[in-house]
Amino acid sequence: MLEPMEPLDEDAKLMVRYRDGDADAFSTLYARHKGPLYRYLLRQVRNAGAASDLFQEVWSRLVATRSRYEARAKFATYLFHIAHNCTIDFFRRDLKMRRAARSDDAEHQAEPEVPEYQRPDGIAEFAEQQSALLAALGALPQEQREAFLLHEETGLTIEEIARVTQVGVETAKSRLRYAIRKLKKSLLPAEIPVRSYGRERFEQHAINGTARRLG
Amino acid sequence: MEPPDDLDEYLRGDSALSRQYRRESAPTPPHALDRRVLGLSRGALGLSDGVHGTARRLTPWLAPLAFAASVLLSVALVLAIVFGPQTTKRVDDAPRLVRVAAHPDATANPPLNRRLQLYSSDPKLARAPSIWLADIAALRRAGLNREADEELRRFRSAYPDYSTGDLAIRP
Repeated sequence: MLEPMEPLDEDAKLMVRYRDGDADAFSTLYARHKGPLYRYLLRQVRNAGAASDLFQEVWSRLVATRSRYEARAKFATYLFHIAHNCTIDFFRRDLKMRRAARSDDAEHQAEPEVPEYQRPDGIAEFAEQQSALLAALGALPQEQREAFLLHEETGLTIEEIARVTQVGVETAKSRLRYAIRKLKKSLLPAEIPVRSYGRERFEQHAINGTARRLG
Repeated sequence: MEPPDDLDEYLRGDSALSRQYRRESAPTPPHALDRRVLGLSRGALGLSDGVHGTARRLTPWLAPLAFAASVLLSVALVLAIVFGPQTTKRVDDAPRLVRVAAHPDATANPPLNRRLQLYSSDPKLARAPSIWLADIAALRRAGLNREADEELRRFRSAYPDYSTGDLAIRP
């Protein structure tokens, strides 16, 4: 899933060129980062519509703040720092809306606190196309999911992930470690109770799972 | 006690987990979103947005060009109406048109007054002397002697040597 990255400061140079009025430099930057950014957002909020809105918001902020840009760090950390902030804002807005909706209707207080973007109708289409790994990724706590996505989609190091998410290095490391541990379990067929299934049923399950992933 | 740490192994790259993740589908933003973002980036620099860029780049040229073409066409039309070949030919064509109209009337033997109206517009028009004399005689018979005298005077001017014979053209 990693897309080839240019040397550390290559993207930063492009951003500086765009800051100084070179529109083509932005096109190159956009082509390099649009995929990782879109997948980061899509797999964070798990809703295509919300991901598209956030995607546009991130680039809009980048464009709006271009005059203040200085190539001090890897461009990806700058871009994904904006994306992180946009995502956090999205989660806060969503939480506030849910609380406001519940306060209007006391009956809703008994319902489990499921975010709007994670309700079945919102993610139905998304979930249909998910593999076991992506399903496990979606089940991770948001911070752990983010750490994994930042590393997989952009190749950021632990230190860079910590910088993007504004936490300590050890915290970022811990989040990534837990994410990996849980996700690896989704890859292991041993998690399926083979004995209770029987050999044939287990094989059929594996075939179906593979077919789903390939389909 | 912590289980064996597989983070280091993962961070070294090419782990089974990373390989599996890379095999997953890799959705990308819709093209409409691409166009919107790129348009936004260009718009911030004061450039056309790329979506309608060509049209917008041409607009500053097309508007005055279209206006100038409209003015030029209007002026040409007015000049054609006022000074055009149709207007200048109209004077030359008028007698010809009268002539064309006169001949069928003459052969169709229209009423006398109508014939006089037609011919009197131009005494030099080709009119057979016999027809002309017959018209004068008809004027006499109708008691229109003044008109008959006038037509006879014109006839004599046009055909001074033509013999009028016994036609009742004289008073």
